[in-house]
Amino acid sequence: MSSLILKRPRYRSLRFCQTTCSNTHLLSPLASISETQIKSPYSSNSYNSLLFIPNQKILVSGFSSGLLESIKDPTWSHFSGPKHGQFSDADEKDKVLASGFVVLKRNVSGFASVLPPRGDKGLVYLRCSCSYSTQAAAELSTSDGLTVDGIVASNWTIFDESEGDWKSHAAAIAQSIQVIKRRMQWKKLTVRLELLAVQLDKPDLWDDPVNAGRISREHGSLVSKIKEVKAFEQQLLEHIDMIKLAREEGDAEMESESLKALLEMRRNSKEKELEALLSGEQDSCSCYIEVQAGAGGTESMDWAKMVIEMYKSWAQRRGYKVSLVDEMPGDIAGIKRATIKLEGEYAFGYAKAEVGVHRLVRISPFDSGKRRHTSFAAVAVIPILGDGSTRVQINESDLRIERFRSGGPGGQHANTTESAVRIVHIPTGITATSQNERSQHMNKASALEVLQSRLDQLEMTRQAQMNAQHTQSLTEISWGNQIRTYVLHPYRMVKDLRTNYEVSDPDSVLDGEIDGFILNYFSACLDKEDDYP
Amino acid sequence: MNLGLGRACLFSSCRPIFSASASLRTVKPQIPLFLRPPTHSASLLDVKKWHEWAKNLTSSVGSSFVEFDNGPDSSLLCRELNWLLEDALENHSSFHFPLSCERDGSDHDENVLLRTSLDDLYSLWKQRIEERRPFQYIVGCEHWRDLVLSVQEGVLIPRPETEKIIDLVGDIVSNNEELGQGIWADVGTGSGAIAIGIGRILGSHGRVLATDLSPVAVSVASFNVQRYGLQSVIEVRQGSLFEPLKDVEGELSGIVSNPPYIPSAHISGLQAEVGRHEPRIALDGGAGGMDFLLQLCNGAAAMLKPGGFFALETNGEEHCKFLIDHMQNNAARSFHNLNIVNDFAGMQRFVIGFRQ
Ligand SMILES: C[S@@+](CC[C@H](N)C(=O)[O-])C[C@H]1O[C@@H](n2cnc3c(N)ncnc32)[C@H](O)[C@@H]1O
Repeated sequence: MSSLILKRPRYRSLRFCQTTCSNTHLLSPLASISETQIKSPYSSNSYNSLLFIPNQKILVSGFSSGLLESIKDPTWSHFSGPKHGQFSDADEKDKVLASGFVVLKRNVSGFASVLPPRGDKGLVYLRCSCSYSTQAAAELSTSDGLTVDGIVASNWTIFDESEGDWKSHAAAIAQSIQVIKRRMQWKKLTVRLELLAVQLDKPDLWDDPVNAGRISREHGSLVSKIKEVKAFEQQLLEHIDMIKLAREEGDAEMESESLKALLEMRRNSKEKELEALLSGEQDSCSCYIEVQAGAGGTESMDWAKMVIEMYKSWAQRRGYKVSLVDEMPGDIAGIKRATIKLEGEYAFGYAKAEVGVHRLVRISPFDSGKRRHTSFAAVAVIPILGDGSTRVQINESDLRIERFRSGGPGGQHANTTESAVRIVHIPTGITATSQNERSQHMNKASALEVLQSRLDQLEMTRQAQMNAQHTQSLTEISWGNQIRTYVLHPYRMVKDLRTNYEVSDPDSVLDGEIDGFILNYFSACLDKEDDYP
Repeated sequence: MNLGLGRACLFSSCRPIFSASASLRTVKPQIPLFLRPPTHSASLLDVKKWHEWAKNLTSSVGSSFVEFDNGPDSSLLCRELNWLLEDALENHSSFHFPLSCERDGSDHDENVLLRTSLDDLYSLWKQRIEERRPFQYIVGCEHWRDLVLSVQEGVLIPRPETEKIIDLVGDIVSNNEELGQGIWADVGTGSGAIAIGIGRILGSHGRVLATDLSPVAVSVASFNVQRYGLQSVIEVRQGSLFEPLKDVEGELSGIVSNPPYIPSAHISGLQAEVGRHEPRIALDGGAGGMDFLLQLCNGAAAMLKPGGFFALETNGEEHCKFLIDHMQNNAARSFHNLNIVNDFAGMQRFVIGFRQ
């Protein structure tokens, strides 16, 4: 597998598709969180929905209590002009389809109340505010009660994309939505959201502004993730409603437009599935990869060196900037331990799949008896949190900074290029070393950066945030936690023990071609997780 | 003697002009390897061959230098070898990996661009191992704090201990705005390290006068000042001790110096990289090592303005204690807050104080 996803817009919100919804506009239930976020009524990023009412044909999908406001003098020409003239003179056809929530919680209620004067081509601009934690848990449905799970359960045959069966498209999209939710760990996500919402409601929240900031940021980011999926789901259900309606009405044009829209969604859904693999809070971050040799002397130190080289090569292929931060060489060959830094988008998201113990079986070149050896190397991955996230505050006075000393009188007496710096965080005992910069000053800066990330990691684990299972430190990784075996003798194979994915050419893998393992881990392992529905 | 190497007349375009003064034995600064244009080409295979050869030569050293005179061991030399490659290759980031990867089946016909010839790389690494030529002279630069300073034979390679002087000055200046806007002197500036470190702290608010007796040091310091674009802040002057600073007597906000402080008798026993290659004029502090330190201490009172700060690097505890005693006995009324400051290794290294 040569490439995974390279880029992905952070938050994508529902975009109204003008070709398919030219006259009948869809009202999303995913309305505003607060009015202050309103930028422009037709900005695709705003939390608002437009309600366009051509000739009283309205589809209103479930949303909570909101505020409707007429906007005079609409200037969006592409929304104007009814094409479906047949509706305007048939009273009994002036209907409202309301896709409501099947599961209703708290203050969320299906709601539709739009009464524009007949013939008025005005736009209704809707704002509504509602609690997100409740919405995430609420299940959306079509007007006749069909849900995403319902669609999947119906086992409609999925044909090739080119075959124009709406049920086939709908079933494919519904399946994708399930995959996406599973990958995002939907249930955990909603539980977390509920928790954050409770915290946000506390009156003393802002007594601790740092914590408050962290909570509201995480809340905001979860909300937008959930919103995105919900919007996608909503879109599917609305198109189904539209198709059914169009059939009832015998409106071939409308039917074909909705069908086109479904096809478009089906195509997008594959991309969304991939995106969902990297939806974790820190996935887009740069990271450190650390490798430590297991017991077994030179053979396992050589193995640890091979593993770190594998990651360097992989990272370079992926276009990340790679630098060696710290390396403790083995006495004869290889390394006892090493830390490399990977800078670039989604470095952590991908690398986290590698956390665990990697096992090598081969005839050791260090054994004169030419016997077969098994050795181990542990891999840990630490995200380097971006500026947006709250980082642990480090007190200078809590640090002990140890530098390389030449021994002897130092100063003008000695010339050395050794400038390693080790920093100990006294309260936690956590240490960080940097030795590959060419000045002590820079090594100190680099070691401090590592220390910061280790402390952030500790804090994250403490808060049991998303991804916590991927950010164990080396010391926490149990040697029993083997994730992959590399056999060079008596046969040649690399096999992932989590997914059973295997490759028969270990050289290519050791040369950094590990994308296949990573992708398979994400799709197979995460998909297996019993998190959804 | 003020040679007027500062400010306006220092450089035109990229080339230093030293012809301004006929009395100056001008020295053309060498361009560090990493700044040279990549005009040499070699096949990847040949570069790898060189690398293998150099690695073998290096590992043959083992710990023999360490045992002999506390010199570098082979693993440190190996790291230096990678840095040499980093400086010599035009695009080291993409080549570093294949070079270190034995399994790689990449195309060896591929050519790489180098900043010096392959022959030169062979002789440079031979010099490093066989002659113990300091790595910093090999690549023509030293990474010091966040600076990359050009160095060459004739100029002392700045030491990591000396980085601390910049921190000390940084602290002083952040607590005393007035000192930050005054004139500072770095006596015996060598590569210009301390002057540049301070110049970057002061910025356009203050001024640094960097002096040295050695023409090579003056030339290298000027080059480094220019590379960091600090010509308007730092002026390099040639001359002995306070002599080139007569025009600012009693006006200095600060004096910093890392003068030669090794007792003459110790010079012959120094680590080969230092004793055989670094300039004696930068190291030899006379019989007790304190010839320059004493002159600096004695002259400081007259040079500093009231409230001015000084920091001197010394050979260690003995020097520090002696100098503090000396100043308390001879110039007690001139100074206050005399203190000894340790280096990162916990050795008493610096003497600091303020003019009354
Ligand atoms: C130990 S080096 C310090 C160089 C630089 N300040 C550093 O810390 O890297 C001492 C410097 O003092 C210079 N020097 C020696 N005698 C001097 C004198 N009489 N007047 C001025 N400078 C002198 C030497 O040329 C040398 O550059």
